[in-house]
Amino acid sequence: MRAITNGRIHTITNGIIEHGTILMDAGRIVALGEKMDLPSEVEVLDVGGAWVFPGFIDAHTHLAVGGEGFGMGHADYNEAFDPVTPHLRASDAVFPEDVGLQDALSVGVSTVGITPGSANVIGGQGVVIKTHGRTVSEMTLGPWGMKAALGENPKMVYSEQKKMPATRLGVAAVLRDQLVKAQNYLEKAKKAAGNPEKMPERDLKMEALSQVIQGELPLRVHAHRADDIMTALRVADEFGLRVIIEHCTEGHKVTRELARRGVLCTVGPTFGARSKVEVREKSWRTPACLAEAGVKFAIVSDHPFSNVRFLPLFAGLAVREGLPEETALRAITIDAAALVGQESRVGSLEVGKDADLVVLSGHPFSLKTRTLYTVVNGELGYRG
Amino acid sequence: MLAITNGKIYTITQGILERGTILVEGGKITALGHAVPTPAGATVIDAAGNYVFPGFIEAHGHAGVMEDGFGWEGRDGNELTDPVTAHVRAIDAINPEEQGLRDAVEGGITTLWSTPGSGNVIGGDGVTIKAHGRGRTVDEMVIKYPSGLKAAMGENPKRVYGNQKKMPSTRMGVAGIMREALTKGQNYLQKLNKAAADPDKPFERDLRMESIARVLKREIPLRVHAHRADDIMTAIRIAEEFDIEITIEHCTEGHKVADELARRGIRVVVGPSLTARSKVELRDRTLLTPALLAKAGVQFAIMTDHPVIPIQYLPFATALAVREGLDEETALRAITINPATIAGVADRVGSLEAGKDADIVLWSGHPLELMSRVLLTIVDGQVVYRREGE
Repeated sequence: MRAITNGRIHTITNGIIEHGTILMDAGRIVALGEKMDLPSEVEVLDVGGAWVFPGFIDAHTHLAVGGEGFGMGHADYNEAFDPVTPHLRASDAVFPEDVGLQDALSVGVSTVGITPGSANVIGGQGVVIKTHGRTVSEMTLGPWGMKAALGENPKMVYSEQKKMPATRLGVAAVLRDQLVKAQNYLEKAKKAAGNPEKMPERDLKMEALSQVIQGELPLRVHAHRADDIMTALRVADEFGLRVIIEHCTEGHKVTRELARRGVLCTVGPTFGARSKVEVREKSWRTPACLAEAGVKFAIVSDHPFSNVRFLPLFAGLAVREGLPEETALRAITIDAAALVGQESRVGSLEVGKDADLVVLSGHPFSLKTRTLYTVVNGELGYRG
Repeated sequence: MLAITNGKIYTITQGILERGTILVEGGKITALGHAVPTPAGATVIDAAGNYVFPGFIEAHGHAGVMEDGFGWEGRDGNELTDPVTAHVRAIDAINPEEQGLRDAVEGGITTLWSTPGSGNVIGGDGVTIKAHGRGRTVDEMVIKYPSGLKAAMGENPKRVYGNQKKMPSTRMGVAGIMREALTKGQNYLQKLNKAAADPDKPFERDLRMESIARVLKREIPLRVHAHRADDIMTAIRIAEEFDIEITIEHCTEGHKVADELARRGIRVVVGPSLTARSKVELRDRTLLTPALLAKAGVQFAIMTDHPVIPIQYLPFATALAVREGLDEETALRAITINPATIAGVADRVGSLEAGKDADIVLWSGHPLELMSRVLLTIVDGQVVYRREGE
């Protein structure tokens, strides 16, 4: 058993506990509160009034699959030779010793969504992992969803290869085509009614997409421009899919459409340059506009495209442009947990949840704040 | 005449003035201090509660040259068709309407050295400009041209020309091409001198060599992109062989050879420090480098390398160096007077002093705090940005 004492504890979901104690056992939070009698065998870490937050969550990254420090030739997140690769799994490319995971831990980011890139219309399955651990199996929390991409990236990749899709028309058509194929595949399986003679031949691509059609996995659509966001919503409506908008750069232009459908979004990377035409209108105002409209979102780094080391500061920059501080904190904790389907385990400091927390020298939105400790599953993952 | 009154003035070179006044006329600072009376008829900007700083300086970036919000259409920083392009000039690729220049002014950055990229061993002439000219042309924005010839060591030229199956495909090749270009420049200068002595001697102008000759005559520095410590030392070795002035640009592993840099008085520009380690040569990058260079006594500036990091985050990058142990005063010099000195324009910009250009920024709080914002930017005495509602 381990306890953190004398912390200024931001639970996120149940307010702030001044001079609070958190008791952890077997990787979970077993008690937290202001005053507590601790069993004698507890290893106590008195943090001297420092700020304690739940481990931060970056809901959309390419951490551990990006070959960081080895050159881009080692990046493992875009299999850019077939626009439809739903059978690919990010978990097969996760490198647990990736230096980016160390960076994440060093600022208190304990859970990350890792996704294939956006070169393909259907890119493959993402995975949600803890940033501390030795093997991908022990780090894994669950599936992240099926990555899809609209707009410039698939256009650029495949037009250079003189293949479809070379236009936004093509991108949407390829996506619909595959979803219809998956529906047909499911229909065949249903008609077979358990008769192995009539079952369709196994097809890994179709098996993966079937999970999307059946609502077991969300379709997570990379969409920057408002028109691409609307295409994603249109396709989702047609096929009755659970859709999440990734990046959502022009989300501020279609907040009502997103709010009306209760669609979740990740926003970012806002920090980088306007490196493509489709990110021309990126702005730190977008989170504030989404919040005003009642859209639930996570703020994300999209590491390596902006750096996971600054995730809390990105939330701070959104606050500078009008996002309420509490919503900003939620966007890298409990709301980010919802975005990766893990709000029952991470994203807030509550009894029964995973013992993932970060101890900070000051407010996470200050440029002067240093990380003192990051704890993951009750284990010390980083010491500043 | 313009009078900025009551602000907390950070002069950079002459300390901090609480509730001071700055007078501006004809684009220049004419007076500043506590006891400066506001002349009748002056337009008064009351800066009570605000921080007043000289416009910050981006020591190395590509604003104007690599255009934000475009694809290939706006990418004009690397002429990747020849590893020696000493005759290309950043000034010919600057779009004054580029969004990055607007972002600079809104972020309190008023001067920048805009340079060709690092795809070539010799990349071309950089130019020092104001982020916002009084007019709409690049010529009105220029403070100093030429102001440094760009060169590059390490992975970038290797990768570009290795892929084209051309030299240089190794670090040996990069150094070989650089030495060869400098030797050709020496030969050119010799011919030029001979021709000057004998007007009947035929002499052919060569634009590439003219540019390299300026470096050999020490009129401008060779500004050498070098990340790894070994690349930094190669640049130093070549500089000593040819007796030229160099600066080290990026200087990612500068902390490993800080004494070598300090001993020779070589100035460096550090950054961009906020990206992922996208190349092997960035593997040992650390936010500690500025603090360690300062400790060794190396004079340095901090860069964003816009658009690698957007230019408006220059104070953000600087604040993180402070978090890692750099003292605040040195940090502020690294985005004001030091880059001005490196670009050879310290007589005009980089501090608030009487006689210097009136490039002045009003901040809502200290610029190294995340929540601070630019309220007003003045370039050459003209208000070029005012935050909505101010």
